[in-house]
Amino acid sequence: MKQLTRIITPYRIWMMGLMSLIGIGALSGLLVLIEGLSLTNLTDLVPWGLWITIDLSSIALAAGAFSLCAAVYILGLKKYEPVAKTATYIGIIGYSMAMLCLLMDIGRPDRFWHAFVYWNPHSVLWEVTMCVGLYFSVLLLEMLPIIGNTPWMKALFPWLSARLVKVHHIAPFLAVAGLTFSMLHQSSLGATYGVLKARPIWYRPGLSYLFIISAVLAGISMTLLASMLSDRFSRRARVNDRLIKSLAVFVGWGLLLYLYLRFWDAFSMTYSHLPGRTEGFRMLTSGTLAFNFWVGEIILGILVPAILLLYKRTRDQPVIRMVAFAMVVGGLVAYRWDTNIVGQLVVMTYQPLDNVVRYISYFPSLVEILIGLGIIAFGFFAFTIGVEYLNIVNHRQVHAHQERTVQPVVAPAD
Amino acid sequence: MAHKKLTRRNFLRGLTAGAVGAVGLRFANQGRASGPHGESEYKWAMVIDQEKCIGCGYCTLACRAHNDINPDISWNHVFELDEIGERKVYLPRPCMHCEDATCVQVCPVKASYHRPDGIVMMDYDLCIGCRYCEVACPYGARSFNWKEFTGENPAVPEWGYPEVERRPRGVVEKCSFCYQRIDRGLASGLVPGVNANATPACVSSCPTRARIFGDLNDPASEVSQLLAAHTNFRVKEDLGTEPRVYYLPVREG
Repeated sequence: MKQLTRIITPYRIWMMGLMSLIGIGALSGLLVLIEGLSLTNLTDLVPWGLWITIDLSSIALAAGAFSLCAAVYILGLKKYEPVAKTATYIGIIGYSMAMLCLLMDIGRPDRFWHAFVYWNPHSVLWEVTMCVGLYFSVLLLEMLPIIGNTPWMKALFPWLSARLVKVHHIAPFLAVAGLTFSMLHQSSLGATYGVLKARPIWYRPGLSYLFIISAVLAGISMTLLASMLSDRFSRRARVNDRLIKSLAVFVGWGLLLYLYLRFWDAFSMTYSHLPGRTEGFRMLTSGTLAFNFWVGEIILGILVPAILLLYKRTRDQPVIRMVAFAMVVGGLVAYRWDTNIVGQLVVMTYQPLDNVVRYISYFPSLVEILIGLGIIAFGFFAFTIGVEYLNIVNHRQVHAHQERTVQPVVAPAD
Repeated sequence: MAHKKLTRRNFLRGLTAGAVGAVGLRFANQGRASGPHGESEYKWAMVIDQEKCIGCGYCTLACRAHNDINPDISWNHVFELDEIGERKVYLPRPCMHCEDATCVQVCPVKASYHRPDGIVMMDYDLCIGCRYCEVACPYGARSFNWKEFTGENPAVPEWGYPEVERRPRGVVEKCSFCYQRIDRGLASGLVPGVNANATPACVSSCPTRARIFGDLNDPASEVSQLLAAHTNFRVKEDLGTEPRVYYLPVREG
């Protein structure tokens, strides 16, 4: 019995579970590559479904990398460096997940490189593809010193490790490049929808701002949540609660700003009837997406976590803080899902001068769900590997003089 | 300390960034966001007369045969709109070949593009199948090849013979104004819109002559004459897409 518990550790169960999900997802992915996208529930009326939502969400949840790296290397808030390290790693995972989703989603995965060669600078999606590609390279470069600094690298390949660590010298430049590419495509992912006059519920400039603000908040929340969870479950991870709490305050205020912008964005849509837009807005506020919108996006996604993170007594409770971060992440996923789907579920007819609108529905097929789960499991798997072997969550590296600068930021010691 | 050391590098970087930006601006200015460019003496357009359309769907079938289209897909769908008294009103919808085409603007790889004569074309060798154009098209004129089209085309030979290559799975396709018929016709001295073999298959096959095709640059062409003589409209004209397909509404009495 004792031997059995030694073999079957919670860690191994966790990793085995993830690996089986990845395996099932990979098999389903292979099936789709062979049989084609007809296995999905996507149609010519709803060409973008679950995978695009996962793609949008994982890119947004990777936004902690550019925001925290910018804070550390451009604004000079050095104390957040260990958090930025975690965020960079999550960034790589997020972008890998997004690229896997897109590879599944496009009809010709063998031509994924076309956007890099056949440029159409007028296309928002071209700009997104270029930025995602370039930013992923920046993230990989930012990752090199982290790998170089791991104990096993130092022990096994000391020469290579020293070279990798040296990449750290260009970190400020990488941060500037990363900030540029990231800000461009995080906002233009919103513009991807926002420029389409054919879909009146999307056609508005605000989507770009809302996409980047929600991405920064949820990206930081994702990083902090993942760090705190690894601190709970792994001996190899240690977090500094004061660092996390000061960022929690930032997220809390950010959520209020985001709510303010969301309010005026929604409010302006309630005036006068614009065919397609009004119907889409109705679908969000009182139609089939109403639960997602009110509960997922607004109440649990913005209001409740904002209160939990700004009210000191709740913020000081690690569990409540983690719940709040999880809510912000969930709110972002709900927002991406609703935004992507609402424009497609409202179909306008061809009757001239008589604007009749028809509602349709979409629910992902089994392969879409299995592949989606596989990609998400891959994200968790890669993060766990990072915690266990790459020393990705470690706030103990904070130096003494940096510790002192932390104190004035947060409320008196607990 | 590090800041001072890197001042020159910073300056050089700034210079590089500026140069890249200037090149980018030049590049962006080279072409308009959309719209046909290049010289062409023709400006193709289609006129569809709702008064004459009886909704038989011959156009859809002729289109499927001549362009070798999967039976699941219609480049040329005929919508039943309304009833006026005893009579039904139809709206056949080919690709509108917009002058300000959203599909051309949004395509990340320039697989959708304008010919100088205004035809919105698809380069099936470039298309990556991202379906952004489908999401962006206000007319739903685009179809994705969810499945590979294998086997016989049920519309062949009754409705005509294929004139273009079948598209592979995973790319988006749409009406091309039968560019192949126009080009071959012009090459052999025929006049598109006048000679059936140089005219889009849907126009040639229409039993009631509800579809007219021709050159808007030629004031004597039938399309120019019809548009001058009749009240006409274009679908979703308010979007500013400037479609090249015009409709003549039902004339009562």
